[in-house]
Amino acid sequence: MNTSETQMDPTAERKLSLSAHALVLVIICAIGLVGNTVATDIPIADGFVGLIVLYVISMVGLILTEVVPIKLPSVAWISLIGILVTLPWTPGSEWIVAHAKNVNFLTLATPCLAYAGIAIARQEIEIAKTSGWKIFIVAVLVMTGTYVGSAFIADLFL
Amino acid sequence: MQRTMDIVLDWRLHISVLIITIMSELIGVIAIPIGIGSILLLPLLYAFILGLIINPNVIKGAGVWIKDNDVKAASPLIVIAIMPFIAKFGTIIGPSMEQIIDAGPALLLQELGNLGTIIIAFPVAVLVLRMGRESIGACFSVAREPNIAIIADKYGLKSQEGAGVMGVYVIGTLFGTFIFAILASVLATTGAFSVEALAMACGIGSGSMMAACTGALASAIPEMKEQILALAGASNVLTYATGIYLGIFVALPLTEKLYDLLGRKDAVTKVGE
Repeated sequence: MNTSETQMDPTAERKLSLSAHALVLVIICAIGLVGNTVATDIPIADGFVGLIVLYVISMVGLILTEVVPIKLPSVAWISLIGILVTLPWTPGSEWIVAHAKNVNFLTLATPCLAYAGIAIARQEIEIAKTSGWKIFIVAVLVMTGTYVGSAFIADLFL
Repeated sequence: MQRTMDIVLDWRLHISVLIITIMSELIGVIAIPIGIGSILLLPLLYAFILGLIINPNVIKGAGVWIKDNDVKAASPLIVIAIMPFIAKFGTIIGPSMEQIIDAGPALLLQELGNLGTIIIAFPVAVLVLRMGRESIGACFSVAREPNIAIIADKYGLKSQEGAGVMGVYVIGTLFGTFIFAILASVLATTGAFSVEALAMACGIGSGSMMAACTGALASAIPEMKEQILALAGASNVLTYATGIYLGIFVALPLTEKLYDLLGRKDAVTKVGE
């Protein structure tokens, strides 16, 4: 029971239609714009255009997720589009880069984590409690191992 | 359809997130110096804590404002809320493509570094904490969604291995951003690894953990911000592509082999008891 509930999260995304995504993204970009204006000295008008650019990239990525038969998570498509339209060889890329620069990347993650905090379900708290301190220690080591392992190998080959 | 619109127009939820965002950004980045370096507290971490505080599952009194259906509605919004962030990352990777190609071999090979979890976490789980087969599910990967799918496919989520992967998944969901922010800021300020290497290591296939990790790195070394973001973003995209294969063909078989080696004595004594 625990597992099926938590398992819903990764797939829940598909339940929302493209138009619902379009609408939610407007709300999220609006929150992002407020955050961006609070966190930085960037004028709200500049941030507005920047967020429109990011909104369009996100929507193109979402549309491709639906249309292209290759199964990739929508975030993979979105980052791919973001990369393609800003490559130095892409016509018009300077314009996109210049406007995207007016949005602070760290601020964009803040609303997401707020939703994540509100979304923690009772089941997840139960799992954490029943698995107890052992799984907590293991999880910390798993993350440390993944991070230090990658940094170590990257350092060897740089 | 009704349900969809409920989620989209859950104003109580969106207003809460808006207020949390404003509060978190007003507080800003705080650096706490510790002996070997410093821990950076980031707005996204406050946002998560503030979200937990108004979550009725965490604090009962919060139920007067946030209801159960708001909690349910928040879940699918996490993925959507990270999308503009991911798009922004793409726009940082694109212009830095030449730099990323230069770092190519290191970038590709560091994906293998994700196996570091097996080296560090697995022996402790089996030998010190005396865990059973749940240690296989818990330690073979960083336990994000694709890795859950691998375990679900091979053992089922109701198995011991399934309990292991779900345990780490949940702890990661609850504390992952904190753990990565602390790891990155401490390692960045101690100088044990090069900044480029630490940046690449931030790409672990989870948007929010990467955000915390790169955020901490970029705040610790602001003059290298663009480079940090480009390398981390590229590494994250790569992990989306390679993570599942590394898990299926390398990490999981390796963890199974190690379990046979290290866990066997335990199994024998159990029979003898």
